[in-house]
Amino acid sequence: MSNKVKYDQAFINSFSINESDLNENVEYESIPEWDSIGHMGLIAELEDAFDISLEMDDIIDFSSYKKGIEILKKNGIEV
Amino acid sequence: MPKLIDKPRLLKKLKNFHDYVRKNDGQIGTMQRGIDLNLNNACNLKCEYCFTNSPIGDHAKETLDLDMVASIADQADELGIFEFDLQGGELLLRPELLFQVLEAIQPERFYLYLTTNGYFLDKEMAQRLADAKVGRVSVSVDSFDEQTHDKIRGRKDSWKRAMQALKNVQEVGIDPYLNITVGHFNAFSEDIEMLCQYSEDENYTTLLNVAVPSGMWLKIDKIDEVVVNEKDKTRLIELRKRHKNILRNIWNPFDRSYEDVLGCNTVNRMYITPIGDVLVCPYVHIKIGNVYEQSLKEIRDFGFTIKHFSEHSPLCLAGENKEFIQKYMSYEGQSIFNPAVAKEIFTEADYVGVELQRMEDE
Repeated sequence: MSNKVKYDQAFINSFSINESDLNENVEYESIPEWDSIGHMGLIAELEDAFDISLEMDDIIDFSSYKKGIEILKKNGIEV
Repeated sequence: MPKLIDKPRLLKKLKNFHDYVRKNDGQIGTMQRGIDLNLNNACNLKCEYCFTNSPIGDHAKETLDLDMVASIADQADELGIFEFDLQGGELLLRPELLFQVLEAIQPERFYLYLTTNGYFLDKEMAQRLADAKVGRVSVSVDSFDEQTHDKIRGRKDSWKRAMQALKNVQEVGIDPYLNITVGHFNAFSEDIEMLCQYSEDENYTTLLNVAVPSGMWLKIDKIDEVVVNEKDKTRLIELRKRHKNILRNIWNPFDRSYEDVLGCNTVNRMYITPIGDVLVCPYVHIKIGNVYEQSLKEIRDFGFTIKHFSEHSPLCLAGENKEFIQKYMSYEGQSIFNPAVAKEIFTEADYVGVELQRMEDE
């Protein structure tokens, strides 16, 4: 499974959304599922999927689909 | 209105809580999550089932002093507590006191919310609350039928104002929660379904509170009318699966399969009365300490030495466990201001070595 698929799957799983609802413009609170609770779920899914532990600053900065890709890159994960 | 990601201290605490729950098989264990603070017990309504005895004016004048509120907030933050629920009585009867308290708490550290009947929550007040960094407002609604709600609440127009209050807070970016009390008497009513659907359609969150035989409802001979039975519980689970915007405090909010149960929140969410008594939750009127006499940590640690509160319970003790209700919630005159005292009602067999375990863990 590619990192892109794993990345997308983390969003789909943690927000319980359809693949068609996900696009690169998704941001924190731009969809109802990405609320504070959903945010925690997303971070946990990503940590599991990529076997990493995100720093608090990264969790705070993780405000969009695109920003998340930058943060993973900083953690050595190319999406 | 600051978002969660603009509150780094809150986010850190929420992450810690989330990680603890995940590691603990989805159960809350002895992780604290919230403080429920009854700021003042005066109220403008006369709800039939009030759990604080506000309609009879019980201790309507007392309130914690601001220094103590600030101290409680500091201690709560230190303990990793991320939720702070201000309630009453009716908070908006004394708005200036409320805003002083909000300032003392420093809401940027917490997911801070108010539980209100909404009667005085107009657009201007909603904006003031948003400016004060209130994250959520919970408004209790008893029926989709205006007259039914007003009758239960004992005041005309209380339904209209409650419904408008939810709209007002939503418009200024505060999370609107529609609170519904569900007991055996209404679990299968069309009314509940209509309220849940309305809440979903309006993009609110629905908070279900199971009816509890305490306060004005402390009538143990009526327990079967109030407390949900097994069939009623399946109804709640069905509502949760279907609407997806429904929470109960004992459900795991992180679970997107809408099935996991955190467990009963006693001591995990301590309830503090206007005279400083600390009860294990708003509905179980058992005192485990007083903030003027002990630290929150001491009170918490003592609370978790009582096995009923430290061991996992998939049932809400106050609203679903009839054996617990009959044994510990049915004392004559028991109330938030006349609670049973843990040290007096529990025997050695009711305690576990959790405090020792916690010290070893730390």
